[in-house]
Amino acid sequence: MNSKSYKIKEKISDALELPKDITLDIPKITVLGTDSASVENHKGIISYSDNQIRINTGCGILTISGQRLAIKSIIQEEIIITGKISNIGY
Amino acid sequence: MFVLRLWNYFCGYAIIIVQGIKIERFINLAVVNNIYLWDIEKIDYTTIKAKINIKDFFKLRYIVRKTDSNIQIIEKCGMPFKIKTVKKRKWFFFGLGALLIFIYILSSYIWMIEIEGLDKIDEQAVLENLSHVGLREGVKKSKINKREIENRMLIRMPDLTWMGLEIKGTKAFVTVVEKKPEPQLINRDEPCDIVASKNGVIEKILVLNGDGVVKDGDTVKKGQLLVSGTIIRDGLPERYVHSMAEVNARTWYEDVEEIPFEQVEYKKTGRTFTTYSMDIIKKKIERTKKVPFEDYNKSSRDIYIFSFGSYVFPIKLTITKYEELMPLTKIIDGEEAKTICEERLNTKIKLQIPEDAVILNNRIEYFTNDKSLIGKIYVEVMENIGVKVKID
Repeated sequence: MNSKSYKIKEKISDALELPKDITLDIPKITVLGTDSASVENHKGIISYSDNQIRINTGCGILTISGQRLAIKSIIQEEIIITGKISNIGY
Repeated sequence: MFVLRLWNYFCGYAIIIVQGIKIERFINLAVVNNIYLWDIEKIDYTTIKAKINIKDFFKLRYIVRKTDSNIQIIEKCGMPFKIKTVKKRKWFFFGLGALLIFIYILSSYIWMIEIEGLDKIDEQAVLENLSHVGLREGVKKSKINKREIENRMLIRMPDLTWMGLEIKGTKAFVTVVEKKPEPQLINRDEPCDIVASKNGVIEKILVLNGDGVVKDGDTVKKGQLLVSGTIIRDGLPERYVHSMAEVNARTWYEDVEEIPFEQVEYKKTGRTFTTYSMDIIKKKIERTKKVPFEDYNKSSRDIYIFSFGSYVFPIKLTITKYEELMPLTKIIDGEEAKTICEERLNTKIKLQIPEDAVILNNRIEYFTNDKSLIGKIYVEVMENIGVKVKID
């Protein structure tokens, strides 16, 4: 993450006010209360169980834990997770 | 998302169960290969349940082999499968469609005519005239021109002052207003006489205009001149006036009633007999059965089986009920016969006497022969008998 190209990219997008999630290929996570979360720019699922989902992203492994977690929809750009979410962390 | 779901519904989708150790890899590979999976649920450590488009399902084979997993369809949903079931039960859906079309066609006709506001005119006569101007049961709604029917009805039936036609569903509501008989009025400036409308004895005559011809106490006959509008005075030319007078006279009414001592009464025995008949678009379906009673009371009831609010369809069930009656001969004595006789005479005489008359005297005489009692009623009343007649 601290490579030279990453820093240059960050500076350029800062200067031009471009959305960082696109230019830097980092995830954009939208959480809707405790019921659903969507992760854009993901890089695939690492593990999936009823109470924990681990998703590979551009800046590490995202862990979502909760109860009765289900993947409502999964496409290359976005994952939508529903269920009772209690924790989101890297 | 919703559009996508809808699209999937139209294309058809399957609910599958995937079993394997590398289940995450299975999902990732599906995503990479552009296979859309949704509603993924973990069932246990190695099993997931997911929904997948039918077309994508066959693309899974490669992934399945690569991840060493097991795949199983548990349910097929969506339009293509629905259509399949429809095709299997072709005739059922064909019949359903035919029924809907049939009901739609039937609902564009008039199947019931309700007439309101009738008093003296016979309903049958109105219905007959309506059918002449184009409104009868079984007529297409689109062919009805309300205005024209109303106008033509008013021309055909001069007894009507107004007619309104309203169509609701398959019913036609006809509201009519009957013409009231116009009182024969003579204008105040037209000369007239006053004549007697009935036989009677003048009790009091009060002449307001014109020349009185009769005095109090005179006996007059029907049609006799009471007050003359022609005024003749010596030395003056004849003058004609509009005569006005209060002519109160005593008049009589009488009636006879015979009550036989042997009275036949009909009593219900409690035994009933019911027949049913169907009416489908005026075609009667019926099983003729003989009524097993000699004397009976018949009552029938119509039920429209298919009627939804104002949409009534021409399928009618008629239930006719026959109640057996038993004749009972009863001998009544003179007193009882008298009470019956009096009651009947009073109701009969009431119809004859005008409403504004004052009853002065009421007398009933009875005669008996060996079979019956004969009652005679005499009623003396005071009433206005003056009627205006125009002088030509």
